[in-house]
Amino acid sequence: MNRNNFLIHLALAIVLILIAAFAGQLNRWRKQWRSHVPRPIPASEKKRASTSTEIALAESRFGRPEVLVKFKPGVSQETIDELTLGLNDRVEDRIENAPGWESIDDLDNADAYQTVAQYLTMPEVEYAEPNMEIELDAVESSLPPIHPSDPRFDDQWALANSGQRGGKQGADISAMHAWLTTTGSDKVVVAVLDSGVDYTHEDLAPNMWKRPASIAPYHDDQLGTVDDEDGFNAIDNASDPMDENGHGTHCAGIIGAEGGNNIGITGVNWKVRIMPLKFMNAGGFGTTKNAIEAINYVIDRKKAGVNVRIISASWGGTQRSRALEEVIRKAYENDILFVAAAGNATVNNDRSPHYPSSYPNVLSVAALDRHDQLAKFSNYGVKSVAIAAPGVDILSTWLGNAYEEKSGTSMATPVVSGVAALIVAENPRISVDQMKKRVLDSADPVAGLKGKVATGGRVNAAKALE
Amino acid sequence: MATQPEQRHSDGRLNRMSLSKQDAVEKARKDLAQRLNVDAGSIKESVEDADFPDMALGAAEDDEMSGQMITSGWRIRLDANGKNYEYRADKNQVRLFGFKGKNYRI
Repeated sequence: MNRNNFLIHLALAIVLILIAAFAGQLNRWRKQWRSHVPRPIPASEKKRASTSTEIALAESRFGRPEVLVKFKPGVSQETIDELTLGLNDRVEDRIENAPGWESIDDLDNADAYQTVAQYLTMPEVEYAEPNMEIELDAVESSLPPIHPSDPRFDDQWALANSGQRGGKQGADISAMHAWLTTTGSDKVVVAVLDSGVDYTHEDLAPNMWKRPASIAPYHDDQLGTVDDEDGFNAIDNASDPMDENGHGTHCAGIIGAEGGNNIGITGVNWKVRIMPLKFMNAGGFGTTKNAIEAINYVIDRKKAGVNVRIISASWGGTQRSRALEEVIRKAYENDILFVAAAGNATVNNDRSPHYPSSYPNVLSVAALDRHDQLAKFSNYGVKSVAIAAPGVDILSTWLGNAYEEKSGTSMATPVVSGVAALIVAENPRISVDQMKKRVLDSADPVAGLKGKVATGGRVNAAKALE
Repeated sequence: MATQPEQRHSDGRLNRMSLSKQDAVEKARKDLAQRLNVDAGSIKESVEDADFPDMALGAAEDDEMSGQMITSGWRIRLDANGKNYEYRADKNQVRLFGFKGKNYRI
């Protein structure tokens, strides 16, 4: 080897040594960087909010992802990765036992609620929420635990009163806390006994009841056989319960407009099955006889195997009917809770009864406004009215894929029916007595209701599920 | 006076009336003229917007149940033969309130 070759080889060796040294340093830098970056929480240590202490412990050890996002069924992992990358985020993990949920880390360390808002605008997202540090008293937390993606949810003061439009903050049914426990079940059927329901409304259609093929069409000795595929129309004794007024559609939306679908509003139940029953006509009124026929229909369907546990009755009058009273008693004996509007005549029902709300075996509901005051129109009665619920300026579904704000004990009644449905979703075998007791025991005391309604309070969905 | 039968479409569905305020007033005047057997032109009227407590406009007939939703409409006061009569109306219906102690949907 001549002198020149030796120098070339020496130079190459030095370069290789320098490259190796630099690579080693890079690896050390990477390890140091990793120790400061949140690491994914192992799936086994990550569950939904019900195991809050475990989440908090896991997060304290491994660092905390920013938001939890549920993507709609069918959205591919590739799409999810692209969407998160577009926001300079990254998917931390899929959450075990919660299909569709992704735990997402915001690499910008932006405010969690801003990040949630970004995801809620995406059509691929069903809903999103901040990954909060949940403590044992989470139900008392001032932060909203579950915020559905429905764009008009912020107008639904009955579910979450943040003081919007001058209302009283917290004067609501604590729905967002209730949804930590359950958002409802498609196994629970609620009969909306009303002017029918617009079952084609885009925010209701997925939650409408359909008679299962395993259950035979309705047969009545007088009426014959009715193909009750979509419900029952007692006016024409026919199968089509399409709403021609809007009132029944409004009440149905309060109970169960589909939640988390990026459309309109959410019901007290995100998932439920609404059984539409039509006994009031296009004007919004009907006869006692047709109401009785519709209740008999519900009892028959219950006996046939339909899990219908609640009848929501946002109607009434002042004329007593022994026949109506009798059929409501029969419904109760068949484990069906009958929830009815107290009436809008500003009268004391203890002195001037309103029916069916003043019958035994009925859970009668008064209306509150957004200030937690008994609505100026609402009937009351410490002996005959059980509980109150929001019933003024209530936004809900209307005919033709529309939404309208309406007022009345008509609107308060389905709020309570919806809470009862959540109770059944969480406790499928609960008796009607226990269901009623849970609703009544949930009441949050409201000063203005003392001496006005039996419980002296407003229904609280979260407490009803405790 | 008997109530009018409900009008229906050919498919059996109720024909949804959509009354204007003027339609409702005319209907009320004709009804009162018939009941009292007087000339409709002699009846004086005053009309005001009103919110009624329910969907029967607070004037339910016997055996009638109605949705308990606040309903906007018109209170029509008619004066005939020196006496006052109250009709209530909205886009769907016209009702006579408290005529000889009873309510009528017309």
